[in-house]
Amino acid sequence: MKKKYLLILPAIILTLIIIVFPVFELLKSSFFDPEFTLRHVEKFFSKYLYFKVLINTVKISFFSTLFCFILGYPTAYFIAHSGKKFQSFFLFLILLPFWISILIRTYAWMAVLGKEGVINTIFVALGIFSEPVRMLYTTGTVYLAMVQIMLPIMILTCYSTMIRLEEDYVKAARVLGANPFKAFYRIYFPLSFPGVASGSIIIFILSMGFFITPALVGGKKDMMVGNLINFQINQLLNWGFASFIGVILLITTLLIVILFIILTRYKMNNNFSS
Amino acid sequence: MINKIFYRIINTIFVAYYWFVIVFLLFPILIVFPISFVNSKYLEFPPKNFSFRWYINYFNDTDFFVATFNSIYLGLGATIVATSIGTMAALGLSKTNFIGKKIIFGFLITPLIFPLIILALGLYIFLARFDAIENFYMLIIAHSALVMPFSLIIVSTSLQSFDVTLERSARVLGANPWQAFWKVTFPYIKPAVYSSAIFGFFVSFDELIIALFISGKIWTLPQRVWQDLRYEIDPTIAAVAAILISATFVGILLGTILQKQAMRFIEK
Repeated sequence: MKKKYLLILPAIILTLIIIVFPVFELLKSSFFDPEFTLRHVEKFFSKYLYFKVLINTVKISFFSTLFCFILGYPTAYFIAHSGKKFQSFFLFLILLPFWISILIRTYAWMAVLGKEGVINTIFVALGIFSEPVRMLYTTGTVYLAMVQIMLPIMILTCYSTMIRLEEDYVKAARVLGANPFKAFYRIYFPLSFPGVASGSIIIFILSMGFFITPALVGGKKDMMVGNLINFQINQLLNWGFASFIGVILLITTLLIVILFIILTRYKMNNNFSS
Repeated sequence: MINKIFYRIINTIFVAYYWFVIVFLLFPILIVFPISFVNSKYLEFPPKNFSFRWYINYFNDTDFFVATFNSIYLGLGATIVATSIGTMAALGLSKTNFIGKKIIFGFLITPLIFPLIILALGLYIFLARFDAIENFYMLIIAHSALVMPFSLIIVSTSLQSFDVTLERSARVLGANPWQAFWKVTFPYIKPAVYSSAIFGFFVSFDELIIALFISGKIWTLPQRVWQDLRYEIDPTIAAVAAILISATFVGILLGTILQKQAMRFIEK
């Protein structure tokens, strides 16, 4: 039966070629040129601008994740607790936008919010706006588009833990005298938390690397690390520095995710023991 | 009584919340359709006349035509490679319980959550060393790695409920491993394999960032759209978007139905 493991081999080779080697290459080109150099490190920390872009990226990613949770959790709860008949229809409506290309969904927001977009055209025609209002190329639009793009992920991860959750614990808490809010807060939410956590981690990581949406609907000050990398390559052809920014992005993302996991574990344990 | 009213209110709030979220998710997508049928270069409200002008524009534009076919070939190529490799990996990982199983599974699905911009940059530097930029086959392989996790996850889930003894009985009755797979295992996982292929096709068909970095002058449809969105937007994009949204709708509906079929044994 040893032969069976051979079936996994092509997948491992493919992942090595496309993920591991490129990341290795990225590390190499950010510290070697061709000898070891800290040139890019110095450059990154010499200008506040680069650091500001990084902070801005973390901020946008954090709030996008938070908004996805606020919108997604109750929605997932509703779907998970609706009748079996409707569940797949409700879920399909969430899945559909999830599979539509990010580029097209971003374009859709441009068509809705642009100067000649749907809202401006209608509101000016109806006399609500005296002239078109600038909505595109603002931070608000970046959030709007990013949350719309990521939201289905949060709903799906929360939903999948909620349908597998042991409803009996909540019932037990109610029978023992907890009011619905307390039963939710002390029992249901902690039990469904793994879905929230995995949704948050996925959305946060994807947001950190976002590039298409801020480039199309954001203003100059909404530049994210992905755009900075693209700018370094396209305009300045500075591959080494772009790689180093990539490494910084990877490390920052990883540290924040690890911090999140440690913090939530700690909180979960406290909740259950007390 | 108070309890009943209380639950009614809560329920209504949840229903309203759900539909609010659906409107937020779908409204911008649906608005693309009326825009694609306007006759003027700019939006007008109320719309004056209906036309297929921008659709005709799309079908007559050689650039768009080439880009569309590049994307279709790319999507098909990546899907075939990724679905085969992903299904093989799912078979290899199922029914076994070695120590590294979870680690290997986790490793194989990293492309799903790895920031694409970093991947694209690393891939560019890596491929540039071998002079493999602007190579369509390289693009297919890169996309295969992105698509493979979908097959792995969907097929693995369907295999969880597969009874191993069935394949073993086939072997005992004289089938060789190849026959046993095609006659017994494959029919069982077929819906999962097909649905993962459909989902995978759309992942590759819509992918922009990696294509932008490594495809050079071989333009895919997302690249062509991206170019337009950055410089000048005309309603041709609305027509393209409307076509893509419709195609995605049909594909995903089909994929979802197949996936339901794949899960039929698990639910029972």
